[in-house]
Amino acid sequence: MKKNTLAFFALVGAFALTLTIPAFAHHSFAAEFDINKPVTLKGVVTKFEWSNPHIYVFVDVKDNKGKVTNWGIESASPGQLSRRGWKHDSLKIGDNIVADGFAAKDGSKLVGARNVTFSDGRKIFAGATGDGGPGDNGTN
Amino acid sequence: MSPLLHFCTWLYSTPFGTAIRESDYAFPIIETIHTLGITLLVGTISVIDLRLLGLTLRHVSVSKLYRQIIPWTWGGFVVMFISGVLLFISEAKDNYGNPAFRIKLILLFLVGLNPLIFHTTTFREVHTWDLAKITPVRARLAAVFSLCLWGGIIVAGRIIAYSHN
Repeated sequence: MKKNTLAFFALVGAFALTLTIPAFAHHSFAAEFDINKPVTLKGVVTKFEWSNPHIYVFVDVKDNKGKVTNWGIESASPGQLSRRGWKHDSLKIGDNIVADGFAAKDGSKLVGARNVTFSDGRKIFAGATGDGGPGDNGTN
Repeated sequence: MSPLLHFCTWLYSTPFGTAIRESDYAFPIIETIHTLGITLLVGTISVIDLRLLGLTLRHVSVSKLYRQIIPWTWGGFVVMFISGVLLFISEAKDNYGNPAFRIKLILLFLVGLNPLIFHTTTFREVHTWDLAKITPVRARLAAVFSLCLWGGIIVAGRIIAYSHN
């Protein structure tokens, strides 16, 4: 019995260790995005995915030298964005938008959005409620 | 495009799949029900596994405990399975190449194999060790496999949402 108990705790311990494998963080903004790397993307919408659990907007951004790069913008869930006035057809391919956010830690062309300004000038908080990122007050 | 990916893409783009994916409430509600189903399933199967390991309810006969608990486990399984299929339909195209999703499917297959083997062998003679002080090695092994595999399935399932492909 004692042996069993020991084996059981060894098992639980081993399992707990696997949980410490670096997470890909979903709910904590700071785990996926680098809070020291603010990014402002000014570009043209190429794709708009109104999908759970996060919506994505892809934009072509032109740099000073005229080189175009396609960036992904990760925002909140459809439910949260609906309450802030976004709709599944709020963005169209070709729309000019500005997105403030923070670059992905893994170096990919992905930004965790904080604010998105539409072509009509409307500016909407685009972060996920409760993700702990800048601008999140827990009730957005 | 592989036939399987083709099928996943079709599922994903059905009006039904699209409606769930683009919904304000349906997706998070189904997701929550899925989690509750897993809780019931793994919570109850753990009681049986811990009993097989001799770590709890040692005075209760294994077969009696099994008969009382297993309907709840199956109930949890049905809830988990149906809600899981709904979530899959809405994300099929993305799930297809997701490494965490693939690992989860393999683990689900193994976790199904485990009781199949156990029930056709050691558990058949449960009456000979129903109240034994120490349960057969194979029973304890099955319990350890079950606990590890279900733990792995939950972890893999959670990682699906974070592993981009």
